[in-house]
Amino acid sequence: MTMKRQRKACPLCESGIRVVNYKDDKTLSRFITERGKIMPRRMTGMCARHQRQIGTAVKRARFLALLPFIRGYEG
Amino acid sequence: MRDYEVVYIFDSAVPESTIAEKLDRFHALVAGDGRGEVTAVDHWGKRQLAYPIRKKPNGYYVVAQFRTAAESLPEFERALKLDEEVLRYLIVLHEGEPTAPMSVATREPRVRDEEEEEE
Repeated sequence: MTMKRQRKACPLCESGIRVVNYKDDKTLSRFITERGKIMPRRMTGMCARHQRQIGTAVKRARFLALLPFIRGYEG
Repeated sequence: MRDYEVVYIFDSAVPESTIAEKLDRFHALVAGDGRGEVTAVDHWGKRQLAYPIRKKPNGYYVVAQFRTAAESLPEFERALKLDEEVLRYLIVLHEGEPTAPMSVATREPRVRDEEEEEE
């Protein structure tokens, strides 16, 4: 059993993205839960800068109806 | 002068010719009379909305980038608000990098997605 887990590298830094694009709903959907919530840092393993960018980007994408506010809720 | 990006969602029942006319009218407000210039216009086309807006399931998306003086924005925004056929719009400062508007229809499959699935 490991006492301390190795910090995972930021998935966005590794893929070479510097600025998160709020119009790219395909990438953003990797960082929301199946219900549409923004995943926390402990799940995404992202660096602070990218987590912050994802937060803003997901909120913009929701406003533009590219992503749902809540998934699986139909009234 | 600053760089801005605007995303319009039009009612998908509106014919494309009308949308083009409206875009010309809107863009004249930010780019007309030497106030600035429109650098890119990308029609995404019809797309299903993630949730209905004004009870409509689809929207016609257009992304445009322009450079203009901040003073011309309020008038531009007012025109968008008054237009019933614009379901929604978003104006943001365009800050570097993702220069080309990402088109959902023409977007190339990204290599890094495959890489991550292997992990």
